[in-house]
Amino acid sequence: METIIQCEHINKVFGELVVLKDISFTVEKGETVCLIGPSGSGKSTLLRCLNKLEEIQKGTITVIGEDSSQVKNVNLYRSNIGMVFQHFNLFPNYTVIENMTLAPRTLKKLSKKEAIEKAEVLLKRVGLFDKRDVYPATLSGGQKQRVAIARALEMNPQILLFDEPTSALDPEMVGEVLDVMKSLAKEGMTMVVVTHEMGFARDVANRILFMDDGYIVEEATPLEMFQNPKTERCKKFLSSLSLI
Amino acid sequence: MIEYLETFWKYLPVLLQGLKLTLIIAVFAVFFSVIMGIILAILSISKNKVLERIASFYITVVRGIPLMILALFLYFGVIKNSMSTNSAAIIILAINASAYMAEIFRAGVQAIDYGQTEAARSLGLSYFQTMRKIILPQAVKIMIPSLMNQGISSLKDTAILSAITVNELTLTAKVIIARNYKAFELYSYAAIIYLVVIAILTYLSKIVERKSNYNQR
Repeated sequence: METIIQCEHINKVFGELVVLKDISFTVEKGETVCLIGPSGSGKSTLLRCLNKLEEIQKGTITVIGEDSSQVKNVNLYRSNIGMVFQHFNLFPNYTVIENMTLAPRTLKKLSKKEAIEKAEVLLKRVGLFDKRDVYPATLSGGQKQRVAIARALEMNPQILLFDEPTSALDPEMVGEVLDVMKSLAKEGMTMVVVTHEMGFARDVANRILFMDDGYIVEEATPLEMFQNPKTERCKKFLSSLSLI
Repeated sequence: MIEYLETFWKYLPVLLQGLKLTLIIAVFAVFFSVIMGIILAILSISKNKVLERIASFYITVVRGIPLMILALFLYFGVIKNSMSTNSAAIIILAINASAYMAEIFRAGVQAIDYGQTEAARSLGLSYFQTMRKIILPQAVKIMIPSLMNQGISSLKDTAILSAITVNELTLTAKVIIARNYKAFELYSYAAIIYLVVIAILTYLSKIVERKSNYNQR
């Protein structure tokens, strides 16, 4: 196994507030790791530190062999790490296909023709080829999120980060987004997923990290965590979701 | 009534000369104020506290002073005879408008959801690529009505520059009145001319606004 993300003793502070406390964990290539825990526990912040949307104050994050604090070209660094957001964040002034091809073309990763061909393949894959030329405003939430995933994949990232990708969706649309994510996991995409979808975590994750109050309180396989959580806090959290 | 129209016809060429200067000053002043406004807006959204303070100080001062005082002070107190009256007028009006322009640009950029920036940056776009391709196209669309408004406002503000002897439309009317005492006629002519020009501009700005509406919702 090849370690693709390695975090060692990271600390993150917002003013007086310490949001990440001595966080250490690794992600192997091809793994799906889910971050769960109550809101305000630091899950999203941790995720955002991985692609340098947030800076850490202590510790080291190594991604694909590169120390994130020593990165010379942050844009190149980020282009290897796709991110999918809770609120989709599609660009409303561009069509679906333009949303997808804008970054690779601007960064000269792909020619116009290559970018469009690739985007079409990805759109077929997420089942939205017929929405190729519409503006995001005409899409449903689930469709928007699938486009957002396809947009991230268009950059050919080695890692995908998901920040509560289904939290802003109507319940009947959650499934279609999770299905896309499941198929990515099956294909061996490395994914770090902040989620409240415990079913997804149980079925898809290789490992689950339970966070509370800025700490990683417990790290376990889904089976261990859901059947036999070791810590009191994790037990309490899971039982509050009536999962154990 | 016929006499009113005859007098109008008689003075129209002179008044249009005044209007010409009014328009020239307004166009140049708005042009410079847009450039200054963009620079000020960049300073005021920059993370550098000192630059931000400078921009905010400038905006507060300029917006807090009546244009009349700004014009009198700068023209008679600072500029004096160092440049032509018309250049001075353009500078004074540009300074005045730039503070409002800066606020329009700042508000327009800040109105765009920060998630847009995050999404673009996470794809690997640089700050400037994000601004140019993602933020500004959306922000400009929001700003168009306010920019048009400010332009029209500045056009009307040129009347105040008559106080520093700029021979624009208002002063032209004033000078004629000093000779023939026909205040009712000449001020109403000036008003009508301003009104017509601004009505045309408003109509044009509506068209621009409509054209910039892409199928977003």
